[in-house]
Amino acid sequence: MHPETTQQLMLLLIILFPLGGAVFNGLAGRYLPKGLVTLVAVGSVAVSFVLAVLSFIELYGLSHDHGAGHAALVYHFYEWFSVKIPGGTVVPIDVRFTMDSLSGVMTLVVTGVGGLIHMYSVGYMGEDEGYPRFMSFLNLFMASMLILVLGSSVPVMFIGWEGVGLCSYLLIGFWYENRDYAAAGRKAFVVNRIGDFGVLIGMFILVGVAGSFEFADINQAAVNGQFQGDFPIWLFGMAPSLATVACLFLFLGCTGKSAQIPLYVWLPDAMAGPTPVSALIHAATMVTAGVYLCCRLSPLFITSDVAMSVIAVTGTLTALLAASIAVVQREMKKILAYSTVSQLGFMFAAVGVGFFAAGFFHVFTHAFFKACLFLGAGSVMHAVHAHGDADIFKLGGMRKYMPTTRWTFLASCLAIAGFPLTSGFFSKDEILLGAAAQIYRGDDPLIHGVGWFVLIGLTLAAVMTAFYMFRLYFLTFTGEYRSADQSGAHPYDAHPHESPASMTIPLMVLGTGALVVGFLGLPHVLPITGTHLDQWSWWGHWMHSSVAGQPVPEELHIVNLASGLAFGAMAIGISAAWVLYRNKSEDLLQQKIPARLYQLAFDKWRVDELYAATIVNPIKKVATVAGHADMTFVDALMTKLPSFNVRESGRVLARMQNGVVQMYGAVMIVGLVGVMAWYWTPHSSIQAEFDGKSVALSTPPGLGYEYRWDANSDGDFETEWSGTPSTSFEYGDDDIRGVAVFIINSQSGATKRVEVGEEWVSLPLESVIPAEFISAQDSGFEVRVDGRDILFRKPFARTKGMGSKEIRLPMGSHGRLGSARVVGRPLVEATLEVRNAFGNARVTTKEIALPFDTESPAHASLTRPRDEVFR
Amino acid sequence: MGIGTYLALASVLFGIGAAGFLVRRNMLIQLMSIELMLNSVNVVLLAFNRAHPGNHDGQLFAFFVIAVAAAELVIGLSILIAYYRIKKTLDTDDATLLKY
Repeated sequence: MHPETTQQLMLLLIILFPLGGAVFNGLAGRYLPKGLVTLVAVGSVAVSFVLAVLSFIELYGLSHDHGAGHAALVYHFYEWFSVKIPGGTVVPIDVRFTMDSLSGVMTLVVTGVGGLIHMYSVGYMGEDEGYPRFMSFLNLFMASMLILVLGSSVPVMFIGWEGVGLCSYLLIGFWYENRDYAAAGRKAFVVNRIGDFGVLIGMFILVGVAGSFEFADINQAAVNGQFQGDFPIWLFGMAPSLATVACLFLFLGCTGKSAQIPLYVWLPDAMAGPTPVSALIHAATMVTAGVYLCCRLSPLFITSDVAMSVIAVTGTLTALLAASIAVVQREMKKILAYSTVSQLGFMFAAVGVGFFAAGFFHVFTHAFFKACLFLGAGSVMHAVHAHGDADIFKLGGMRKYMPTTRWTFLASCLAIAGFPLTSGFFSKDEILLGAAAQIYRGDDPLIHGVGWFVLIGLTLAAVMTAFYMFRLYFLTFTGEYRSADQSGAHPYDAHPHESPASMTIPLMVLGTGALVVGFLGLPHVLPITGTHLDQWSWWGHWMHSSVAGQPVPEELHIVNLASGLAFGAMAIGISAAWVLYRNKSEDLLQQKIPARLYQLAFDKWRVDELYAATIVNPIKKVATVAGHADMTFVDALMTKLPSFNVRESGRVLARMQNGVVQMYGAVMIVGLVGVMAWYWTPHSSIQAEFDGKSVALSTPPGLGYEYRWDANSDGDFETEWSGTPSTSFEYGDDDIRGVAVFIINSQSGATKRVEVGEEWVSLPLESVIPAEFISAQDSGFEVRVDGRDILFRKPFARTKGMGSKEIRLPMGSHGRLGSARVVGRPLVEATLEVRNAFGNARVTTKEIALPFDTESPAHASLTRPRDEVFR
Repeated sequence: MGIGTYLALASVLFGIGAAGFLVRRNMLIQLMSIELMLNSVNVVLLAFNRAHPGNHDGQLFAFFVIAVAAAELVIGLSILIAYYRIKKTLDTDDATLLKY
């Protein structure tokens, strides 16, 4: 094989290894020893990671050759199918995988973090009886996520998009015996479906405008300005551009998958799944798919100010709302879940202000520290044997029992809070810089307003982020262990212990990553003002080829403002948490703010209740009504009635099965008599086939039958009695009995049989003129056969059409009458006599319309092109 | 004597057999009626063999019928004996368990 092909085949293998692992463990896992299941599950992802690294090195080399990362590894697998879009273009949908700078980084994150979480799961889930199933689902998730990332067209990405949604559903409801957990899985699935509808509509708009499903072609079309046209449907008097509508629909999908307002409600509930699932799917990878999609199509998004503003505002609002909920929650995973929603809001705010690379940088750093935080929470829960979730007010003092977990958790907390030189510091700084930059860009009041809103909102959210993360850290790891004396209600295990190595090694790797990966975004050009994002750090340089972005403004003080805000927010948040919670066991915040406000935030601002009242319950009511209608009408009419008929007629007929052998004998003899009666006289029918000038006549053969034919029905049989059921005959002029006039109009065909003779036969007008064109003066046509010609006339015709003159149409030729086409065919009659072994005979006759004039070669008119005949 | 005579005889035999099968209630008699019908068929076969003496297909088939009828009768009689041991009767009106 060609060496280049081998390297590109690796892209396919990156996906196929986890997929194979999923199939293997899914089918055979429960019959195999645990060691083998582990080997296949973790091994397949590890191989996938190694291949991803090799591919990435290859890509890195290519980008050096081609300059500035304008390189991609592409593997065209096969053409799946194609669709025809309005305008007649046939657009192929190819199963093709592309690794460029954006998807390359994402692939490394997915396989790397995913591999570590697989390893962690060995320790965390090893004792669960559904372990093989769990590993199979995790592997399937990896395969789906890699298809999402590597797919180079929207439909292929959408397969992965749906695949990760399915795996999310399966894994949230992994402990499906618990009804609440199963309901959480269902909620995630249904909410995501709402978003998926948006992606589909967006995809249709994209292909309709760009004429291609490929991301590269769509982005090129956006750069060429093809999306600048107005959307054909006006909404509320506004005429949005195609780009705006497409982006907003795609963003609807992103709000579902990436848990933004208004569809974020599924993510906190998704914590019902096992902790590794929360870490992998609901923190590090799947939920960032929406940001990934925005970055993938960034040249398109950046062309629509309206869509970008909507994204920025939604992201900021989500960041604020989720952070405000996280501040008062009591359970570790719930706090982390709202924190994830909030951080995703940061990412979308970055996308919305046009700093795509910054948003994706936050995806990258977030994958490390949030996965580490979740795994750390899982490690604590594992240590104290907490099931489902752990109440931080029953924990405390964990640093004594589990130092590794504590240090990695602290590192990640610092990173997410934005402590200087940790990874979160760099990524959050860039996002705030993007918001500040927007304020100074252009003079559009919309842009300015959004910029101010995002800057202030995100700074507030950053304060809260630092506060709730350190609230979580202090309450969990400092002070005394509050379940040690077993006095409280439902205390945890009194003797916590550090987790096994399979869990601590991923923690250490991810914790280290949380501290150092930010240096990829370290500016190497100072000051960074007046440059593009892509020129001042390795990250920006690397992302430059695949994502668009706004420039950094000229003024130095903007950069200082952003850094100052980020640092200040971090400092305020951590200090407040230090004062309120370090070595404390009470929620002092609860005593400092109004009780009703606290309760409202604790109840997540009652958004779930709002949705239940406005959307879920009305739909449930409709479903109830529909269900009753189904039971009353559909079931009764379609199911009960036929079954009643069958049952009752069966009851009657079953009486014949009375078990008396004489009865059966009698029925048998009646049947025999019936068969005898059928065979007593012969049965026949005539079929005609036209073969040149002669006509082949035949009849279905019967046992013991003899036949004789009178093909022209002149009473003189041409053949003697014989056993052959067919004959052949050439009809002449004298054999013609009449004419079959075929009327072929636009609606239907009609046939009129006309005898040879002087009599005029009328033709209904409807058969030749469409009913709506018939006026009161019009009368029907009349037709007559004259020798070998057909005569048409329209009596009393004073209006349009033929007038009163006659039209002569030779038999077999086509003519036109009204709006219909007419052709006359000669009618002949064939006679067949059949007799059987009993000596009974039967005569069958049949009229046959010959398709051509039998004698002269005039039927050549049939072979003439139709157009010539009509015009 | 034409073939029609033989066929008439066969028809009469078959009719008697069929009527006996339908009318009588004793299974033994019914079995005998079946034999009568089978033999009427044999008569037809032999009659046609005589009318078309080119080969001996008719006679061969008659032998087949006799052999098969013998085997069938053995099984039928065994069933009757087994049945009689259980029910102490051979009346078909009492053998109606196999019904709807």
